[in-house]
Amino acid sequence: AVLGCQIGVEMSYIPGQPVTAVVQRVEIHKLRPGENLILGFSIGGGIDQDPSQNPFSEDKTDKGIYVTRVSEGGPAEIAGLQIGDKIMQVNGWDVTMVTHDQARNRLTKRSEEEVRLLVTRQSLQKAVQQSMLS
Amino acid sequence: MFSRNHRPLEDGSCSALEMEFKRGRFRLSLFSDPPEDTELQRKLDHEIRMREGACKLLAACSQREQTLEATKSLLVCNSRILSYMGELQRRKEAQVLGKTGRRPSGGGLLAERSPCRGRVCISELRIPLMWKDTEYFKNKGDLHRWAVFLLLQLGEDIQDTEMILVDRTLTDISFQNHLLFTEAGPDFKLRLELYGACLEEEGALAGAPKRLATKLSSSLGRSSGRRVRASLESAGGSASSPVLLPTPAVSGPRYHLLAHTTLTLAAVQDGFRTHDLTLASHEEHPAWLPLYGSVCCRLVAQPLCMTQPTASGSLRVQQAGERQDWARVHGVLKGTNLFCYRQPEDTDTGKEPLFTIAINKDTRVQAGELDQTTGRPFTLSISNQYGEDKVTHTLQTESRGDLQSWMEALWQLFFDMSQWKQCCDEIMKIETPAPRKPPQALAKQRSLYHEMAIEPLDDIAAVTDILAQREGVRLETTPPWLAMFADQPALPRPCSPASVAPARTHPLPWGRPRTFSLDAVPPDHPSEAPRLVAPLPPHRSPRSRSLCRKGSPRTWLQSPV
Repeated sequence: AVLGCQIGVEMSYIPGQPVTAVVQRVEIHKLRPGENLILGFSIGGGIDQDPSQNPFSEDKTDKGIYVTRVSEGGPAEIAGLQIGDKIMQVNGWDVTMVTHDQARNRLTKRSEEEVRLLVTRQSLQKAVQQSMLS
Repeated sequence: MFSRNHRPLEDGSCSALEMEFKRGRFRLSLFSDPPEDTELQRKLDHEIRMREGACKLLAACSQREQTLEATKSLLVCNSRILSYMGELQRRKEAQVLGKTGRRPSGGGLLAERSPCRGRVCISELRIPLMWKDTEYFKNKGDLHRWAVFLLLQLGEDIQDTEMILVDRTLTDISFQNHLLFTEAGPDFKLRLELYGACLEEEGALAGAPKRLATKLSSSLGRSSGRRVRASLESAGGSASSPVLLPTPAVSGPRYHLLAHTTLTLAAVQDGFRTHDLTLASHEEHPAWLPLYGSVCCRLVAQPLCMTQPTASGSLRVQQAGERQDWARVHGVLKGTNLFCYRQPEDTDTGKEPLFTIAINKDTRVQAGELDQTTGRPFTLSISNQYGEDKVTHTLQTESRGDLQSWMEALWQLFFDMSQWKQCCDEIMKIETPAPRKPPQALAKQRSLYHEMAIEPLDDIAAVTDILAQREGVRLETTPPWLAMFADQPALPRPCSPASVAPARTHPLPWGRPRTFSLDAVPPDHPSEAPRLVAPLPPHRSPRSRSLCRKGSPRTWLQSPV
């Protein structure tokens, strides 16, 4: 469920430089098929990955975690996650400067049934910029 | 003893050969031998002597390691003898056919052109193993061991690798041999055979003193005791008639053919590649080894046209540009270049050539009969296209004969390049083998299992990620197995990927998807379909090993959550 827009100050992808990003809070309730809790999306990226191959990022040196696929009808889609979103936080933990495996582990903790993400997307940024200009 | 169940020749022909041996008839030749035949005969005699020596050694040695080595030498000698005999037979037949009339060699320079020979070198051979969990966890105590080696044959040249002892602590069988085959054509077939012998407890008993062994065998159960006693009796038997090809008197470990494959020019690459193995034995077989089904190696080829000069002589070259005068040079055609030196001696002194003309498969060569400048006959022109520009060099030879020789050499080079294909793009390096290190120093092999970090969580995704990362897989379209995470609740069992992925062309044993070179950086093939990754059974995860991630990131992995 979308709980509203929030402007937050996040750690940036340029080390040492804080940046302002428009983020959206997405709360996903995990689906529990059998013994696995499923969120229903895929991630790409990480500080140990090659950022130039990221098709979603505007800045090709951005080593953040991006949503690469959202399962149709899955919990992530229902909660409003979109393909191309960049995930900034998972349940309060920062994931802008983590390895791919660390990000995945944060998302797949067995004990957690809900995962609260802070995501940002270019359409959000543009919408806020336009509303600030007008 | 050896058993080669893939060859059609069995005991029937062998006994005929024995008779030939005894009569000494194989040395007689009814026709006068050309020099190659005497060379082959000499090699055959040498192998026969080696074989007699190996039989004697086998009868004499008592240690198991020596027995294994001697049995291996015997098997290699036998293979070589059979191969040389076959070759001699073929040559004699060809001689007979040749004398009854040769085909008329057609007119023209392009008739009956044969490609140049080359050197083929195979090295860094590695065969991954796939042990079942029962081997690791439940099989405490007795360690099954195997002795394995590879036999490689190209034409009539047979070479073998060292023998390696394998047990369940090894994840791969790595051979440190560099095997060089000279005299290979571009249509070569390099046959690779893996032989293995299982070292059972009977081997240990055969080494024990006879009285103790008899006591032990009689105290065993009836059927196993009978088996052991039979093997001991045959070990003690006399080494009768070493001339017989299969020597029933020689006991000890039996080598069985475990797997084979054939490599051709298509497999040649200046890098490490994986090829499929055809497994020749199944689980019930006594010497069965759990092979993963692939062999990795570095197979390179050096055609002679690339390493040796194919033509040389005096030429006059028209200088490019405004000045139309002709310079006299000494031209040497070697590999994909025509080097033009100032003096003929410069080739030896290592001086740089005046200039170099590239000759590759896109080069156009024309004998300049058409636009002859007056007083300058016998010219040929060589044109290369560099992007937009076309660069033409005009060369003048001394005489018509010289012109024809140069054209012939160039045509032969073009033919060789078309036959040897990728080997003529650049010279592939053949390394001379370094001094052999002791096997213990090579324990740190690059292997799939050493580079996996598997968390205590039963995380199938972690395993497949690591595999995908090693391969640099770009999962731009959804691989079929991702569907399992999204839609189906259960963790995948090892056999289910075969059912989920319908679009596969080769049916593999045990329903495994195809894996590629586990250690190499794959070549950049953006046009190929995305590859599947081999999921390992989930209960392998408790074996966490040290993490070893190295190198700059070349992948952009995607994981489902």
